[in-house]
Amino acid sequence: MSLGNAKIIRFESGWEEEIKVKALGRLQDHLNNGAEKGQDKLFNNNDYVLTYTVCYNMCTQRTPYNWSENLYAKHGETIEEYLKDHVLGALKEKTDAFLLKELQHRWKNHMIMNKWLQKFFMYLDRYYVKHHSLPTLAIAGLRKFKTLIYDEVKKDVANAMLVIIDEERDGKVVDRDLLRQVVELFESMGMGSLDSYTADLEEPLLVTTREYYARKREEWIAKDSTPDYLIKAEKALEDEKERVLNYLNSHSECKVLRVCEEELLEKCQKTLLDKEGSGCKALLANDKTEDLERMFALFNRLDNGLSPMAKIVEEYIAFVGHSFIDEREARLKAEEKKEKPDDPDFIKKLLGCHAKYTDVIKAHFTNHPNFQKAMKEAFTDIMNRSVGSYTNAELLSTFSDRILKAGGEKMSETEVDSSLDKLVELFSYLDDKDFFGEVFRNQLAKRLLNQKSASDDLEKAMISKLKVQVGTQFTSKMEGMLNDLSTALEHEKAFKEFRENDSEKSRKVLDTAVQVLTTGNWPTYQCPEISLPNQMQLAVDQFMRFYNAEGTTRRVKWFYSLGTVKIKAAFPGKEGKMSTYDLEVATLQAAAIMAFEDGKSYTFTELADKLMMDPKFLKPVMHSLCCGKYKVIAKNPSTSKITDKDSFTVNKKFKSPNKKVKIPMASLDANANTKKVEEDRSITIDAALVRIMKSRKTLDHQTLIAEVLSQLHFFKPNAKQIKKRIESLLEREYLERSEDNPGHYNYLA
Amino acid sequence: MWGSGKKKSKSGGGGKSSFDSASCTALFNKYTTEDDPFAISMEGIGDLCDDLDLDPTVDVRVLVLFFKLGATAKPGEISQGEWNRGCEALSLEGIEGFKKLIPSLDTGFMDHDEFRKFYKFVFQFSREGTNKTIEKDMVVALLQMVLCDRNNAHLNSFCEFLNKSGEENERISLDAWQSFLAFSLETSEGCEEYDMDGGAWPVLIDEYVSWKRGPADTKKK
Repeated sequence: MSLGNAKIIRFESGWEEEIKVKALGRLQDHLNNGAEKGQDKLFNNNDYVLTYTVCYNMCTQRTPYNWSENLYAKHGETIEEYLKDHVLGALKEKTDAFLLKELQHRWKNHMIMNKWLQKFFMYLDRYYVKHHSLPTLAIAGLRKFKTLIYDEVKKDVANAMLVIIDEERDGKVVDRDLLRQVVELFESMGMGSLDSYTADLEEPLLVTTREYYARKREEWIAKDSTPDYLIKAEKALEDEKERVLNYLNSHSECKVLRVCEEELLEKCQKTLLDKEGSGCKALLANDKTEDLERMFALFNRLDNGLSPMAKIVEEYIAFVGHSFIDEREARLKAEEKKEKPDDPDFIKKLLGCHAKYTDVIKAHFTNHPNFQKAMKEAFTDIMNRSVGSYTNAELLSTFSDRILKAGGEKMSETEVDSSLDKLVELFSYLDDKDFFGEVFRNQLAKRLLNQKSASDDLEKAMISKLKVQVGTQFTSKMEGMLNDLSTALEHEKAFKEFRENDSEKSRKVLDTAVQVLTTGNWPTYQCPEISLPNQMQLAVDQFMRFYNAEGTTRRVKWFYSLGTVKIKAAFPGKEGKMSTYDLEVATLQAAAIMAFEDGKSYTFTELADKLMMDPKFLKPVMHSLCCGKYKVIAKNPSTSKITDKDSFTVNKKFKSPNKKVKIPMASLDANANTKKVEEDRSITIDAALVRIMKSRKTLDHQTLIAEVLSQLHFFKPNAKQIKKRIESLLEREYLERSEDNPGHYNYLA
Repeated sequence: MWGSGKKKSKSGGGGKSSFDSASCTALFNKYTTEDDPFAISMEGIGDLCDDLDLDPTVDVRVLVLFFKLGATAKPGEISQGEWNRGCEALSLEGIEGFKKLIPSLDTGFMDHDEFRKFYKFVFQFSREGTNKTIEKDMVVALLQMVLCDRNNAHLNSFCEFLNKSGEENERISLDAWQSFLAFSLETSEGCEEYDMDGGAWPVLIDEYVSWKRGPADTKKK
């Protein structure tokens, strides 16, 4: 297109004759008469080029014939007029879906108009617009639409849409495509930002959404059970998400869902949880795992939404545990027999409960920490409530004794292992772990010394599980015990060799197996003095020669209250023949029996003299031989109590159907468990106090108490007990009260 | 400035010229027994009190006397060294000197700090032999004697408490004794502000407050 040959176009002629008639008029006609009718070329190439050229020329003519400014103004006016005259009126007379349809139509038209006008006047965009920092033609056109049309109808349009959305929520099928298109319009009106959409559609949407679901909440909560309500709430949330996805802007998703969560879940959370018969507690009681899982998932959406639920779970578990304890209490009251430190049914119930809820939390609450904590709190509460004469710590230990003993609870190997795991978990909740440790050690010692362990591997497994739970300090003595016995086995071999190489006479000495124990590891046992019969004394001496030959400097003390002896005893049997029995007895019992080898009878006092034994130990020994099931020694008078005046002799009338006779004896060691534990605790607290004060030099009371508690892992004293130990240390002058600082203590070096 | 080299001399002290240590020792020896010539013990103290016309079981001034003499080494006795030093410090000459001193032995003359030290002395001095604690009946008697004129809000009820309590409070430690004074001076009669759980007071005081507050508080075990 050259500038040169065309004649100068005057504005009016250019505008009226060329552009308006040939281009704009046709365009408007087309729009007015249904733009859908044929998307065929509104303007073919030639038409377009012609109009474009006119514009071009009018814009490139030299001043005073440069009509850029006028054309730009005319562009705007044209659009304005068209919108005002034809579009607004049409919209204003419509409502509801019709309004939406009309708007959609007009919007489409506007796009077309905008496009063609922009194409025709394109030259303006190139230079004029830029030089004068004006909005481009396209933008200018869009703005006209916004101010003249959009701003006028947006409120009605939004309302119409919201009504339709509510209808869809109620179940009606609606024209989603239409809705989507109108949403796109809102989005476009932001001209680069989402502001129009947000302010004009989204905000009102959030308001109606809130109102809608508030209504629903009231409706449902009145008639529905919690699980039913939750199903509806879950569906509503899914529906809203899908709605946003389908025809709203994605930015609205989290806002809409938030509103729904607030209305449907947050505002009635308490009511839902506490509903009689269908709330959280009821669901737990009836094992409604699916409903619980849904409840968890829904409340998990809320900020801090799980705390109330976790609290109810905690209370429920505690309630179940405490009901077991109440049952136990009632049973103990009703029973007339003497109470034993053994209650396997009770422990099994606790184990079962613990396993059940561990699974529930894992499978349905995604092992969420809130619920793990709830479980921990509940079980800590349960395990530290003991009823009857024996604490839960003791009962727990006795139960593990059952499992670890040979011939105890019948279980498969995997069952045993998982039982031990669970036992250790219950143990971990105990405050008085040290007490459990004391009882367990005593029971372990008994099992080991009497060879009653089901298997060494099981003992080791249990000890290592405890070690993992609470550390080596707790299990060191137990491991020491096992080590002592395995060392003893090694020694046995060496001892056998020694005997073989010993003098001829000593080879005839009684066959003896000795276990040398390290004092610190084992419980303290009574060590009664006794004068052993000759054969036994020779055996003892022989072992001492062997042991000392190894060059050891250790002091060895013999515990005759432990250990077993096998005696072949012959009693008068049938038809004048002698029946021999294999008696299995404790060392002390053996010594007593051997005292009657000479066939004489002895009074109690004589016997005590002969054996050089303290009467208080001799009494239970004699009781087991005279007043038990197997009366190998006859007592005169044959009462069931041993007195000083009794006289004893071999019971010639003794008979037993079994050749092997095991005669048990009452243990000499009273259960000093509680007392020992208390003493140990005082010592431990003292040591902790001194340690802390030594490093801090001076400390106030509250901090000292807190520090001590943090250092005690195996039991939990109360503040008063710690105070008493502080006073003891004050008296012994390890500490003093600070003169300058009331409530503070100073370390005294 | 100090060129004159004049020596400052205490009035009535300084050399042996103004204090008669011989008569002081003579007086000392009047009260010792054959068993121990180097210390005056309970018997001798009793004689001294007779001479001074003071009843040691009810008159706190006896204790104040021994406090001022500085009889701190061993309970229930005063050594020769302590006696001599004390007499010299107080310028006591003969039994007359002691008698003149008596009016000033009233505890009302002591300020707070001195009284606290005296109060501690009372406990330490009243122990038996190597015991670190004192029987509670004796403690009650001592408290009455020492605190009756000091306007102590808790004296009577604390003594009542001790009398009523059982064998767990049979013997009282120095710590409890000393703490009682501080406690009674800063705590109101009703003990409302007393911090049971957080306070560093000895257990005995906790128990007293519990008892004082009454049955409403005993559930707090």
